[in-house]
Amino acid sequence: MKESLWAQWAALAETGPSVEAVIHWVEDRPDQRWTRSELLQEAVQAAHWLRASGVRQGEVCALVVRHVPQFYPLYLGVVRLGAIPAVLSYPNSRIHPQKFIDGLVGMSHRSGLDWVLTEQDLEPVVRPLVTMPESTVKGVLLPPLDRAWPASGPEPLPEIQVDPASPCLLQHSSGTTGLQKGVILSHAAVLGHVEAYAESIQLRPGDRIVSWLPLYHDMGMIAAFQMALAMGVPLVQMDPFQWVSAPGLLFTAISREQGTLAWLPNFAYNILSDRLHEEDLEGLQLGTMRMFINCSEPVREESHQRFLAKFHGAGVRAEMLAACYAMAETTFAATQTAPGVPPALFLADRDDLARGVALPAQPGPSARVCVSSGTPIRGCEMFVVGEGGEDLPPGQVGELAIRSEWMFDGYRNNPEETALCLRDSRYFTGDYGFTLDDEWYVIGRKKDILIVAGKNLYPEDIEDALRGVEHLAPGRMVAFGLPEETTGTESVCVVAETDLEGDKERRALRTAILKAGMAIDVTIAKVFLVPPRWLIKSSAGKPSRKANKQRVIETYLTTEGSTHDL
Amino acid sequence: MISEALKGVILGALDLDEFDLRAETVASEVPGWDSLSHVAVLCAIEGAFKVRFGTLEALRLKNVGDLQALVDAKLGKPTA
Repeated sequence: MKESLWAQWAALAETGPSVEAVIHWVEDRPDQRWTRSELLQEAVQAAHWLRASGVRQGEVCALVVRHVPQFYPLYLGVVRLGAIPAVLSYPNSRIHPQKFIDGLVGMSHRSGLDWVLTEQDLEPVVRPLVTMPESTVKGVLLPPLDRAWPASGPEPLPEIQVDPASPCLLQHSSGTTGLQKGVILSHAAVLGHVEAYAESIQLRPGDRIVSWLPLYHDMGMIAAFQMALAMGVPLVQMDPFQWVSAPGLLFTAISREQGTLAWLPNFAYNILSDRLHEEDLEGLQLGTMRMFINCSEPVREESHQRFLAKFHGAGVRAEMLAACYAMAETTFAATQTAPGVPPALFLADRDDLARGVALPAQPGPSARVCVSSGTPIRGCEMFVVGEGGEDLPPGQVGELAIRSEWMFDGYRNNPEETALCLRDSRYFTGDYGFTLDDEWYVIGRKKDILIVAGKNLYPEDIEDALRGVEHLAPGRMVAFGLPEETTGTESVCVVAETDLEGDKERRALRTAILKAGMAIDVTIAKVFLVPPRWLIKSSAGKPSRKANKQRVIETYLTTEGSTHDL
Repeated sequence: MISEALKGVILGALDLDEFDLRAETVASEVPGWDSLSHVAVLCAIEGAFKVRFGTLEALRLKNVGDLQALVDAKLGKPTA
């Protein structure tokens, strides 16, 4: 590996200039196919444009653009200048413009965004950031995304001296408003990590990654995009918005492009199984795949089995199923299952797990199938830590902690959050799990965070969004997640106190709560309206999420995950 | 014009009591209608009307009016 991303990409372009690097795949339109040399040549043009626009080494460039071919040279152009790209989610029409701006302001304060690179449509929304008090944003730039880069002058780009320990990209935790936590990763971390991770999945020259994952997500950015570019395997990148409208396109792309690797959050296995019909599979061949890697959400065996049963005829085999445990704080993967072998399963008793031990159980209602996320990849050590901070032996349940060669240094400009999770060179994940026979199982969460369709949501964000809703008692609501077997992910639930009693008024209040969630792009699936003083308070005097979630389950839900119509 | 039958299926899939669904309504305007529940909505419509939507047909849907037209076409009805 070279010392910097650009040096690595340039070295690959020199040894294989005509090898495909990125295939920008859009249904119903011609693909845009970039070879390594074409991509880098265009990235240099983009870098000239960025430099002429004022961008300099070390500055943070937020990229807020949709799935367009010019994204790739633009991203690479930022890196060529020694600036730091940060890909942000392009807002959909559901999110309120002010909420989107609030999020950018929060990021600006924490992450120190210098430039926002975006599209014409979003410019009026983003422009006020430049003049806001204490804003770090120097300017909003509109790259020529639908036409060629303007001709650059004769002056060559300055050669950039890159320290491998210097930042190469900025990732953000999901969050919806000001709570996003910025993770800065160095050139050495990204390059070292993708090399080690590539070993764990036995990446080889004939591999082709197919991905619909958004690039603001660490799974899309590191596992698909950075690994493809740094290891020299082609990436077939689809439009995330097209995929959610027509999930079967993933299989069309795999079949046409002879894909071998895909990373998917658990809910995608359910969506594909539910949405595709036999006739959709006609002519599709998925037998080229080596691994479908389940990551970013709790891995559910029933999702794997549905997927396998549905697509066996199209070439999906059990040994293609794989799992990974990953997070932005360790660049990406901490563990990975071996290629060619389905993830190990462990049947445990739920009551035993709740008591903190993983013992073999007989099949039955209290048994839970735990799916292994594999073993630590090279450079990662994993620990199970007890309540008192002691390391626990195999078979005991505790918080998972990681020590990794590719660990982040801390959340950018956020020492408080950093101190909460980074101690003694270990990252405390906030997830519960255990290890047995060298397999690592992730079974629950210590933090209140919700993971919905692979996206982390903070309950504080949702509760904040409900503040202005009329007829809700101020501060008397909590948000939490419940697992949903049908979708294979969590659903967002809100329990809130109100003194309204009429059916019509309560229906209107419920709709108002759903709309408040929409304004921050959160779909609230269930609303539980309860009378005043129903919510249980914590010792700090605020409604307890954990206790009230439990009370809702006991009061309204027959079994966890299945709901009564309220 | 959106039929009461289609409205009922959509609102049922979204667990909504009421919402003024019009031809020009897009999913992002409707509480609860996101990418995850979109799958449930389409599956519910397919089940209720005994029709099947192809991948490209689903991709081309822009609003509820398109959905109504697609259902009508599948059922051999003239579009309103």
